Amino acid sequence: MTSDPSKLKKTKEWSTSNILFSMERVAGTSRLFFGSSDFKMYEIDMAAEKPEPVAFNGEGHQSYVTGVGLAADSIVSGSYDGRLIWWNAEKKEQTRAVDAHAKWIRGVFVAPDKQTVVSIADDMVAKVWDAQSGELKHTLVDHKPMTPHHYPSMLYGATFSPDGKLLATADKVGHIVIWETDSGKKVTELEAPGMYTWDPKQRRHSIGGIRSVAFSPDGKLLAAGGIGKIGNIDHLGGPSRVEVFDWKAGKRLHTLEDNKLKGLVEQICFHESGKWFLAAGGDHGGFVSFYETASGKAIKQEKAPMHVHEFAFDESYETLYTVGHGKIAVWELREKEDGPVEAPVPA
Amino acid sequence: MPKNNQNFCGSPEHGVSRRGFLGAATAASAATFAADMTVLDALKNPVLAGELKKQQKHVIVLWLAGGASQLETWDPKPGRPTGGPFRPIQTSVSGIEISELLPKMAARMGDTAIIRSLNTRIGDHGGGSRLMSLGRRPDPVVNLPEMGAVVARELGRADSQVPDFVTFYSSTEGRGNAVGMPGFLGARYAPMFLTENSVPNNLRAQKTITEVDHQDRAALRQLLAQRFSRGRNSGIVASHNSAYQRVRGLMASEKLFDVAQEPAAVRATYGPTQFGEQCLIARRLIEAGVPFVKVGRAWWDSHGQNFETHQELCADLDHSMATLLDDLKQRGLLENTLVLTMAEFGRTPNINGSLGRDHFANAWSVSLSGCGIKGGSVYGKTDENGNTVADGQIDAPDLFATIYKALGIDHEKHYQIGARPIPLVDFGAKVVKEVLA
Repeated sequence: MTSDPSKLKKTKEWSTSNILFSMERVAGTSRLFFGSSDFKMYEIDMAAEKPEPVAFNGEGHQSYVTGVGLAADSIVSGSYDGRLIWWNAEKKEQTRAVDAHAKWIRGVFVAPDKQTVVSIADDMVAKVWDAQSGELKHTLVDHKPMTPHHYPSMLYGATFSPDGKLLATADKVGHIVIWETDSGKKVTELEAPGMYTWDPKQRRHSIGGIRSVAFSPDGKLLAAGGIGKIGNIDHLGGPSRVEVFDWKAGKRLHTLEDNKLKGLVEQICFHESGKWFLAAGGDHGGFVSFYETASGKAIKQEKAPMHVHEFAFDESYETLYTVGHGKIAVWELREKEDGPVEAPVPA
Repeated sequence: MPKNNQNFCGSPEHGVSRRGFLGAATAASAATFAADMTVLDALKNPVLAGELKKQQKHVIVLWLAGGASQLETWDPKPGRPTGGPFRPIQTSVSGIEISELLPKMAARMGDTAIIRSLNTRIGDHGGGSRLMSLGRRPDPVVNLPEMGAVVARELGRADSQVPDFVTFYSSTEGRGNAVGMPGFLGARYAPMFLTENSVPNNLRAQKTITEVDHQDRAALRQLLAQRFSRGRNSGIVASHNSAYQRVRGLMASEKLFDVAQEPAAVRATYGPTQFGEQCLIARRLIEAGVPFVKVGRAWWDSHGQNFETHQELCADLDHSMATLLDDLKQRGLLENTLVLTMAEFGRTPNINGSLGRDHFANAWSVSLSGCGIKGGSVYGKTDENGNTVADGQIDAPDLFATIYKALGIDHEKHYQIGARPIPLVDFGAKVVKEVLA
């Protein structure tokens, strides 16, 4: 059986009073590690009849946990408290803590070989770490700390290329940098200013930014997700927006805006074939939108039961796990063979 | 109308002495004014400036239009589901913590009091703005004056050559709620309302009009106005005429709005933002004797992305307010200048799906710094999640009574409108003595 986005159906929901910002799935299982607004890390098995989250032990973080990565033999979490914490996955105990950044950590990303971790933060640097030793290998500096309007900027998005040799980082004003992972050298840069809204007259502040980036499986394309121009920046009432680049040529291939499913594109992931990709996020509510890579046409779009902050597919891309504002949802991308869709599970 | 303030403003002896002083100063300078209207800057006369510094009280309101979040400013709730991601930081006053978004203000808490227990109940922009400008619910019959007009009336000088009440509001969102409300005090106490620029438009005499023409036109207008006034016993007409009488003084005050008059180092200290620049102008106005300046900084209405919005706007507020307090202090003006942060309401403890906070008037905070204030004090308390006031609940009239008390204005006095006495604040309003020096 193969995955088919057009068959997308939500099959399970689990509710919580917390906001779930970050998540990693354990390979070959329905077990998820997620970071929460109660400053804690949890594990939950979504295959259980009544999923019960199990909290990690120890002191942990002092603010929202906004990044989770499964590295060599550890889980690495990052938080708005600026710290990275290495955890023993089985014991759920802290093994190392590093004061990594001077400002909020926006995400933690693990290279495909699981040996390298990168953290990005509002101090506008990306830091490349050895996953095993915790040694800092590079500090990547290029993103400007202030917006053109004299306010603090933010570094929201990062991703590794499928071979792990490249790393892309993206910030609030739409600046994207591609780096060599091993050397820390800047390879090139792209601009997507349509993701940033500065309102100079009505409300005199800004909103938006590139929230997510993803390489295609062949490494040739880079997709950036965020939100388009917003009229009323009190709300996330702007079009969800994805720009797809032939990054080597510096050429924008698609600009996909959706005014029906509004809000931020918090994450993008390509199918292993490269034929389609998923962009998910939201405003007050949430969405999952599947697009055909070649044409940019929407294949399937659904409202999610919550603003989606992060998601993960299983190995077959037939099951999708989304985490976000007060919920985890499980989706199937195939015809279900046995019985009706399960009812939502209360917390 | 009684004028019975508790300091110089209410002291007849003090008032006469002061008026005499100012009158003499004005007379002595009259010839110069006629020759060059631009030299009215009171700071040019060191004796006058010194007198002003010693005696006159002022107010600067930093109006956080749209509603700043109390949880991201003065009343953090660390570790609570409602608390958000920011951490509290210790201030310079032991035991008082505020949001980490205000590090510079944390270092200046010795000059600032926080009230954390406002329950004003009105959660819409228009209603909240009117309430927090008037200090009470609008009256169905009488057109009430806002705080700026009352302060201008109570602390302004009849012979003032500078504006009594200046409002900056540069953003367009919410501007309709910021329009001055002099109420029954009349146009004489309406604000000079600056929107597009930080310098008043049309303040300069037109180049096509000579000084003689200008004076002739003023004389003609006065003649016609006097005729119109005959047989009319109207405060509004009198106030209108009074406002015109001050035109030439206001025309001369243009330089006060020009930050280029400040040394580059001072301008750099206030920073590059418009809010910082307007705080600098506010200081210049205060220094020149303007009793009331309101600097509107819009728009804090963070229904989506509350935390990002507050990272931007709190950085602006923290730097500009801290610089303003330092500057006022260094110039010996802070002890006579009350600096307030106010808004129409605060924001919900609940965090919505867009990581925003919505309107919330049931438990929110304001700050008071400088004149008459017991720095380093906190009054009132909200519950552990910030949903309700747990201790020391006050409403807008109590806050306004406290503000007037800090300025030495008798909050129990009243204006007589026909047969009806209109108090400065609602009857029964209680002063929050705990935040007063």
